[in-house]
Amino acid sequence: MKGLERSFYSKSSMYSFIVVLTLFFSMWIATGRFTHVDYMLFGYIVASFIFFIGMTVRLTSWAMRPATHEVIRRSLQNMKTRKRQKRNGKAILKTLVDNIILQKYIFKRGIYRGIQHWLIAWGCIGSFAITFGLTFGWMHFKLVDATTYQLVLMGVPTIKMHPEGLFALLMFEGLNITASMLLIGVIMALARRIKNHDLQVTQRAEFDLLPLYLLLAMTVTGLMLTVSYKLLGGWMHPQLQLLHQVTTVLFLVYFPFGKLFHLPIRPMAAAVPMNYQEKQGVDSKSCLGCGELYSNDDQIADVQAILGKQAFDFQTSDGHQLSDYCTACRRKIRVMSQLNMKSPFGNSIAPIQTNNGIHLPGFGRKRSDEFYEQALKEEK
Amino acid sequence: MKKVMYLEFERCIGCRSCQAACRECGGHDSKERNYVEYVNFFENRQTYPMLCMQCKDPACARVCPANAIQITDDGVVLSAMEEKCIGCRNCTFGCPFGIPKFDFEENKMYKCDMCYDRTKHDIAPMCASVCPSDAIRFIDHDEMMELRRRRTQMNLIEGKKPSENDKWQYVPEFFGVYSD
Repeated sequence: MKGLERSFYSKSSMYSFIVVLTLFFSMWIATGRFTHVDYMLFGYIVASFIFFIGMTVRLTSWAMRPATHEVIRRSLQNMKTRKRQKRNGKAILKTLVDNIILQKYIFKRGIYRGIQHWLIAWGCIGSFAITFGLTFGWMHFKLVDATTYQLVLMGVPTIKMHPEGLFALLMFEGLNITASMLLIGVIMALARRIKNHDLQVTQRAEFDLLPLYLLLAMTVTGLMLTVSYKLLGGWMHPQLQLLHQVTTVLFLVYFPFGKLFHLPIRPMAAAVPMNYQEKQGVDSKSCLGCGELYSNDDQIADVQAILGKQAFDFQTSDGHQLSDYCTACRRKIRVMSQLNMKSPFGNSIAPIQTNNGIHLPGFGRKRSDEFYEQALKEEK
Repeated sequence: MKKVMYLEFERCIGCRSCQAACRECGGHDSKERNYVEYVNFFENRQTYPMLCMQCKDPACARVCPANAIQITDDGVVLSAMEEKCIGCRNCTFGCPFGIPKFDFEENKMYKCDMCYDRTKHDIAPMCASVCPSDAIRFIDHDEMMELRRRRTQMNLIEGKKPSENDKWQYVPEFFGVYSD
């Protein structure tokens, strides 16, 4: 691996190369050695490659961050431990169902937001699945006889279906369904951004609004295509097709570099119940200062390792790290050191001296006027 | 941003106006992001206000595995981006000052962002604009330096000369007492 890595400019270029090769190989298999590539989708193919390269570059640099690397390392280590298998499975399943499929935590931030996000998220993921499936030729349909279609997955003929059956309808109208979900979700999101003044203060046009506009343009042009061939007898279909292709290409190229990049990051949420908190809000490690439970050993070890890797020196005078104390104690440590009350925190038996003779608090305690007069005289 | 936040812990009278003001802020969901706590309750009733230091190289952002904590052009360290935060609480353990708060219900971290939508226009943040005892102030950098200098002078006047190795004991970082 090291030798292979050395022959590339960077880690991300190596992984991008591997991803591109894999995609080409899957295309080669799925399209029968490139015999039936759909050239109508050529623009989408190029954009999909750019999308995958962009994703790989972003994910590689993300995984190389010390914090991310540490969490991934701990997760892999726990996954290999036989004793923890039950906990791992539970954690992954729970994250998958609660956080990714149902997105419960967003519904807790507001039902409107929850519905909006769920529609956009699953609209996007569904559209991606169909788009990539078609552009790379991973799936296509074959006419077996006059009333039977067959779904071909990766070059392997699978399910046969009647072209007017329910399954076929779901397959053929898939993009229309996901696009409708997206359209509703995006309109809800835009309405929220227009109505909610709190959001307007902090939102950024290129980060929060651009993806919504792109999604809107893409879904509207995509749905217009259906309207065109279903209701208008193909009116303006080639032009609309080109317009849809342009908006989709823009979206695919934008995706890895904007707000929507959070999609591949989310699955890491499984690391939280898997490595750190089996039950939310239940801690097992006690603070050195006040003895209250505030975290667990593994997480503090990870945090200290990450900080150490990045040359943060948070050692207190008693040889512990600041992260061995709970947040309230850490706030106290900061105040005490600024008030010149620094003592080995946590293991001092005597009460901490607030009056250390260096400087008395000024508030509510005025000195006699002589003191200030003398001081001013000396200054002169 | 030309102004700085200036905290004088001794001036705090524990009225918690700053926390009330913070709760009022739009988008804070009626949860305060600052602290008012006792220094040592068993010895005296001195309280102190606590805000985020807005570190140049924030440990919270460095320990975030999702890269969710971003810094604005002005140098304000923001709350974790809601779409990226995976809710691991690493930031609350990494922060040397114990500032970030965590919402288990909504599964996200939130912290003081110095009201960056106000301060970038040189308007005092919510907490500083309501503090009745000037424990939290939003002042010019020059004024802050003047207050610090005066504190140093008062230390010298009292005959407390710092030696080579313990200057910091006499002039804590942006911290002043005699600031009438």
